[in-house]
Amino acid sequence: MNNSRRAEIGITLLTSVLGLLWLLPLVFAVLMSLRPQAEGLTVGSVFFASRITFDNYAAALSVAPWAWHAITSVIFVFGTLAVQLVTVTMAGYAFARMKFFGRGALLFIMLLQIMIPTAVLLVQNFATIRELGLFDTRWALMLPYWASAFGVLLLRQTFREVPRELEEAARIDGANLLQILFRVYIPLSVPAYVAFALVSISSHWNEFMWPFIVTRSEEVRPLTVGLNKLYSTTEVGALYGQLLAGTVIVIAPLVIMFMLFQRRFIQSFASSGIK
Amino acid sequence: MRKVLLLVVLFVLLTSASVMAQADITIEFYFPTAVDAPINEIIQRYADQFHELNPNITVVPTYTGSYTQTRDTIRTELNGGGAGPDVAVMLTTDLYSFIDEGSIVPMQSYIDTLEDPEAFVSDIFPAFLANSMDEEGTIWSLPFQRSTVILYYNADLLREAGIENPPTNRDELLAAAQALTLPNGERWGLLVPFAGGFPIWVFQPFAIGNGRNITGETPTTVYMNDPQVIDALDFATNLGTEYAVGPAGGSVWGDTPTAFLNGQAAMIIHTTGTMTNLLNNATFEVGAAFVPMGLPNDEGLGYGTVTGGGNTYIFNPPGAERSPEELEAAWLWAEFLASPEIQSDWGAATGYIAARASAWELDPLASLAAERPQYLAARDQLAYAAAEFTSYRAIDTQNIINATLSGVISGAETDAAAAMASAQEQIDALLAEYR
Repeated sequence: MNNSRRAEIGITLLTSVLGLLWLLPLVFAVLMSLRPQAEGLTVGSVFFASRITFDNYAAALSVAPWAWHAITSVIFVFGTLAVQLVTVTMAGYAFARMKFFGRGALLFIMLLQIMIPTAVLLVQNFATIRELGLFDTRWALMLPYWASAFGVLLLRQTFREVPRELEEAARIDGANLLQILFRVYIPLSVPAYVAFALVSISSHWNEFMWPFIVTRSEEVRPLTVGLNKLYSTTEVGALYGQLLAGTVIVIAPLVIMFMLFQRRFIQSFASSGIK
Repeated sequence: MRKVLLLVVLFVLLTSASVMAQADITIEFYFPTAVDAPINEIIQRYADQFHELNPNITVVPTYTGSYTQTRDTIRTELNGGGAGPDVAVMLTTDLYSFIDEGSIVPMQSYIDTLEDPEAFVSDIFPAFLANSMDEEGTIWSLPFQRSTVILYYNADLLREAGIENPPTNRDELLAAAQALTLPNGERWGLLVPFAGGFPIWVFQPFAIGNGRNITGETPTTVYMNDPQVIDALDFATNLGTEYAVGPAGGSVWGDTPTAFLNGQAAMIIHTTGTMTNLLNNATFEVGAAFVPMGLPNDEGLGYGTVTGGGNTYIFNPPGAERSPEELEAAWLWAEFLASPEIQSDWGAATGYIAARASAWELDPLASLAAERPQYLAARDQLAYAAAEFTSYRAIDTQNIINATLSGVISGAETDAAAAMASAQEQIDALLAEYR
């Protein structure tokens, strides 16, 4: 066995162990959610208790209007992403290729935003939403996220990698700015878009505090707020079965999506330089 | 003539419209949950019933997470220029924070307008009013979702060990716990959930049973540095160390009911809120008894427990400027939630203790209690229950006390008396400006 073969085996082993570690919480969640509520980990084997039950799922499903929450989550996540794609493309191009007064300063100010934790802006954003009359609507969920400093930075860097000659050639052929964007820059930056979309989708799918503060009606609240109900059982004790059944329901769409598009995502991350 | 007629019609239209506008009142109601019942549906049903009785008032209930999240929601709303809810369920111990902020309206003024205010008040269990009243005895909040600390025991195991009756004082409790403990952690005699939550609430019954509640008669009096309290703390600590009838440092709050259900503990201290969970899931006979953490008195009893849970408050923060009609409507909703009919239904549906004596005579609670007498133990223990800890700056003082108790009980702090004296000093310094 030569050295490179040995290294390959070593890497495979290491990634397998890391993969198992990553999988462990998911497996644990599924196993616990199938255990009867009254049986802790001490009853039966580690994997299964005295029997397998779906009672926890029934109980978790009964505590919240999940269909509404799911609709809201989907609208929130994809409504945000759709607008973000437009804004980050425009801003990304402007910062990458256009020359204007104060470009550096503007970029710097925008990047500062990444450093401000969203919790600090909670009260201010709330007041703004209230004055706009958007309190307790799905618009309120999305609005603060329509501009993404992270996305702008990512696209700016990606666009800068695109050879200038391509843009100039397109210009000579008579393409206008929009055509240049759609024919040259965007097709060459698909991996960056996929990577950005993934980050955006998963972070908004998991967002809790902002939707919780800015909505009141169940219909316009996302899945995370529904899931919160299963956490708030201090008067009873911890109901892990129910809680994890709810968690499995809420994370399932994302996990399935990731598994389906796994190869694509990994390629995107690798080529866009995000780790 | 025509003009006059037109004017009259216009006038009638305008005034009737404004009368209607005035009569229709919307009550924003925020409620946290701490149990696993389908609370949204239950509360919406109450709101509908209320609307039928008061057609001009519409209650809009909003689920606002845990108690802490509810408090954060209300804070953010008020700081962001909003008016906040008209009525909210919040911890009984938040009273002085709200008074301090000037954001709530006392219920007393509305109680006084009732036909028979005395009958209304005396129907509520006094222990559940202890945290509603300020120093002058003015009632600010009404009990809604209330609980207490209680002792659960595995009646089958007690019988096996030849213990006929549940313990009535701490000497008996210790003897029973020692008899029921199996070696190597196979089974604990008594689990006290000091870890993972709020040791202050679990500790209070030890102190109350021992004759001295740590919360005083006024919102600036705290008894941490009291011999009876320190003695209670020693006993609580020793359960896990010297006597070893439970794990050192206490059990974890959330895991304790499951440990009991799985037979890993013969007795546990927990909240009445988990009683329905235990009765529904146990494969053995579950007993519920008064918490016996005190030294025996002349009758041999060492009972004492603490109340907990949430009350309804009427909010009228500076800037909201609610009209008397709106506040009146808010009161009617709070009164409705505290009515015997609703308390009976709510108690049966959620496992909270119905706060009014007359609620226990009504179905569905009356038949439930007849079927499961354990619920009656929760009610009757109220005779020995005292106020939950509160003060001005309650969150800060609770933090000090929780940290001190955790330190001593977990063994990180070995000198209980010194730790309690230091806590007393910190709290006194904090509350000095309110005296």
